[in-house]
Amino acid sequence: MKIVVAYKWTSDPEEAAVRADGTVDWSRAKPGLSAYDPVAIELARHLADAAGAELIGVTAGGKGVAVPIASKAALSRGLDRVVIVEDESLAEAGRSELAAVLAEVIRQIGDVDLVVTGDSSVDVAAKMVPTVLAGELGWPAVAEVTAVSGQAGALHVERAIPGGVQVLEVSGPAVLAASADAAVPRVPGMKEVLAAAKKPVELLELAALKVPPGNAVMTVTGRSRPERKARKGQFIDTTDPAAAAAELVTALRGAGAL
Amino acid sequence: MDFELTDEQQLIRDAVREFAEAEVTPIAAELDRDHRFPSELLPKMAELNLMGMPYPEKMGGAGADELSYIIAVEEVSRACASTGCILSAHSSLATWPVYKFGTAAQHEQYLHDMASGRRLGAFALTEPAAGTDAGAGTCTAVLKGDEYVLNGSKIFITNAPFAEIYIVFAKTDPTQGTRGMSAFIVEKDTPGFTVGEAEHKLGIRGSSTPPLYFNDCHIPADALLGAEGSGFKVAMATLDGGRIGIAAQALGIAQAALDASVAYAKERVQFGKPIATLQAIQWMIADMATEIDAARLLVYRAASCMDNDRPYGTEGAMAKLFASEMATRVCGKAIQIHGGYGYTESYPVERNYRDAKITEIYEGTSEVQRMVIARAALR
Repeated sequence: MKIVVAYKWTSDPEEAAVRADGTVDWSRAKPGLSAYDPVAIELARHLADAAGAELIGVTAGGKGVAVPIASKAALSRGLDRVVIVEDESLAEAGRSELAAVLAEVIRQIGDVDLVVTGDSSVDVAAKMVPTVLAGELGWPAVAEVTAVSGQAGALHVERAIPGGVQVLEVSGPAVLAASADAAVPRVPGMKEVLAAAKKPVELLELAALKVPPGNAVMTVTGRSRPERKARKGQFIDTTDPAAAAAELVTALRGAGAL
Repeated sequence: MDFELTDEQQLIRDAVREFAEAEVTPIAAELDRDHRFPSELLPKMAELNLMGMPYPEKMGGAGADELSYIIAVEEVSRACASTGCILSAHSSLATWPVYKFGTAAQHEQYLHDMASGRRLGAFALTEPAAGTDAGAGTCTAVLKGDEYVLNGSKIFITNAPFAEIYIVFAKTDPTQGTRGMSAFIVEKDTPGFTVGEAEHKLGIRGSSTPPLYFNDCHIPADALLGAEGSGFKVAMATLDGGRIGIAAQALGIAQAALDASVAYAKERVQFGKPIATLQAIQWMIADMATEIDAARLLVYRAASCMDNDRPYGTEGAMAKLFASEMATRVCGKAIQIHGGYGYTESYPVERNYRDAKITEIYEGTSEVQRMVIARAALR
């Protein structure tokens, strides 16, 4: 039995700068494991331990995703091994192309029962790869997953929905996108960090993968930056809370916000 | 020269920072305010293999290098200097001499438990009348049959009474001065061994530093650590490495003060703009950042010497001297940047300032470090 975690080695957006033309300058941003991926690894580690499954990390991207520190960072979080596709052409690849590559890697690994991803990538945050990946694999996708129990093939999956929790019984292979609170990721111990270098890392050539054309093709057609509206700078005296609330409602209605 | 940390050192720094920010930072002010020893953190640190990082895995450690350990002390101290002190005293002062000078039987009996963090250690050298002049101690150990009998007292012993294993220095031959001093491993609860009331300190208030009393305390003869009469050498060799840990602690405290100052300077508005835009503040920030970086280079260099089996006594003394005095200067500037707020407990920099001062004093005062450095320079 095999469980795959699709992870991303990317840059911290808090250290990125937005240029005047709206594009993002990532050059000074520190690379690292995408912030929500440790949650996915932790969730998958529990499922793999319960099922006696192998836990495999998979990632694809441009130059840098195969640097040793990237795989060590992922492996130290609890993966058994990683499979990496690094190709310059993937640096600017869209979500659909990346999902197609990941799907092909998962097919080549074979006998994968479950794929777990983070809720979204910390840099782009499009939340699309899990769904498109599932489409490429022909598997169901479940997003916003807050808890999982059972075994791959017969999973009891909970997901947060407005006003409650949806409980799903998932049979057959599936792609689960773990929400940020689906598990508390463990801090890697010193031994786990040092042992990461001894775990297997497999590098696959993109050309040799022969990725079939994706089922979904998305292209960026434009880029815009929201206009910043001037603040009204209106202060409300809160000495009398009831009067303040009434004044706030009146002001919001007057501004057309309510 | 290569100034880059290895992948493992970077990942260890990130992991310890993640742990410290999640588990240590939230309670640091409370530990200080209540003078409370953070017992709840020790099992968590042990689980992450932080308590015996530089010792071999087969001996219960993590098998990391010294620099990784020093980075860990820096990161823990950045969150809480008291916790950094507890870690450094346990690993550098108590565990290291057992590792370095212990017999196979002592390794078997103590090292695994200490390096894995199951049992906390303490280092008992200082006496009421023997601080910098450590050789002037009057604590005695008299061999009677197959036991030594300890008598005397120790003071300012970090980790007591929470420690279970104590490295105790006592005179086996008081007529021989420092050559009559020997080191012993003494277990908590040994009859005749008691711990006094904890001191109320200016800083590192979460770290416990009470006196120890030995009153006809019988310990087995095989509790002797190293050869009889070699205790002073054991102590000095231990302190050579321990000083790098204190330097790392100072580094972490100073970094915390800089981080707080940068955040405050960006938020605090005076004259209609953030004070970070004022040159007076910028220059203080620039000096703080430069001093911290210079200290970090000295500290990491000293740890690197240790890793590469090169002499590190002078390098460690330079690192401790500069880093500790730098920390006091930087924390003073941090309070200045915070203005009146910095003098209150509303911000962490007053704690940083109080915590920094001890790094100029313990494990060898700045004056002792200057003696060590001058001796090497004038050789």
